[in-house]
Amino acid sequence: MLRSITIVAVMALLGGLSACAPMQPEREYVQRDDLKVDPEVRQFLAVNELLQARIDQPGGGTLLQVQFSVEAYEDADLEWAVTWFDPSGMVVPSVGQGYHSAHLLRGQTRFFTAIAPHERVTSYQLHLREDR
Amino acid sequence: MKKLLTLTLCSTLLAACATPTRYVDPAADDGPVTMTMDYRDFERAADAAIQDLLASGAVDNPSGERYVMVVSRITNDTMQRIDTDQLVKKIRVALLRSGKVVTTTAVGLDGAEDEMNMAARELRESEEFDQSSVQQTGTLQAPDLSLSGKIIQRNHRVEDEQQVEYYFQLSLTDLQQGFAIWENETPIIKRGSDDTVSW
Repeated sequence: MLRSITIVAVMALLGGLSACAPMQPEREYVQRDDLKVDPEVRQFLAVNELLQARIDQPGGGTLLQVQFSVEAYEDADLEWAVTWFDPSGMVVPSVGQGYHSAHLLRGQTRFFTAIAPHERVTSYQLHLREDR
Repeated sequence: MKKLLTLTLCSTLLAACATPTRYVDPAADDGPVTMTMDYRDFERAADAAIQDLLASGAVDNPSGERYVMVVSRITNDTMQRIDTDQLVKKIRVALLRSGKVVTTTAVGLDGAEDEMNMAARELRESEEFDQSSVQQTGTLQAPDLSLSGKIIQRNHRVEDEQQVEYYFQLSLTDLQQGFAIWENETPIIKRGSDDTVSW
């Protein structure tokens, strides 16, 4: 009987200790999407297309170009930015970190383009958010 | 004594109401727009210019070498006292990072941007310096391209509002032939209260 109580007490103690231990965050690879649209923005526009192409340069290299179009359901202000990545997934800096702002009229479809700042850019992430 | 106490109390209250100073993150700046040119305008203008310049292929040397660019005159034709380097530096940095263009600091309309280019060569006559480490003659590179431009401001009254237009105009000249091989204009238009001063 005493042995059983001791075992239960030890298990309870171990359980208590493990509950107090700091939780390790799960480390798992997160697939990066090309397009991120904030929920608030989805209420007033739709991204109709998202295209990418490599533009030939006179020296033989190519630059990644992105084009997307949005159609607005109502008059709205939008902000967008493209973050560029090299083959290793590292950010390739461009001129600034700011967002481009755009005013959309109801029913209007607008096209936006962006050019990668370096030939080593192979991927990107486009972020659309509400104008704040 | 009573007056002093009241004054102290009022001062303390006013100080408590003051807006605290804080840092602004350019990537998430949701602050109000100013009628004058602020850092966001220079960033937008430089970004638009660089994207257009890179897409045009004008700065991509077919030989694979980097072009050498010199910064010519960038005229400030606005009512504000601005340093045009706020625009030019962003363009220079982006071009350098692109690996396509390098800017010379040895040549400029008002003399070399970095006078050390010539000062370092004056060491040739000095016996104090190891002459093998001194810059040799004929090593400076002449520029292939020249960047020039103008920033223009126009003010208008629209009903009870004020409209301020800024135009960032840039030209890239091929110094071999004197042709402007790339030109760009980025307008930035702002409309706001007529009480706001844009100069």
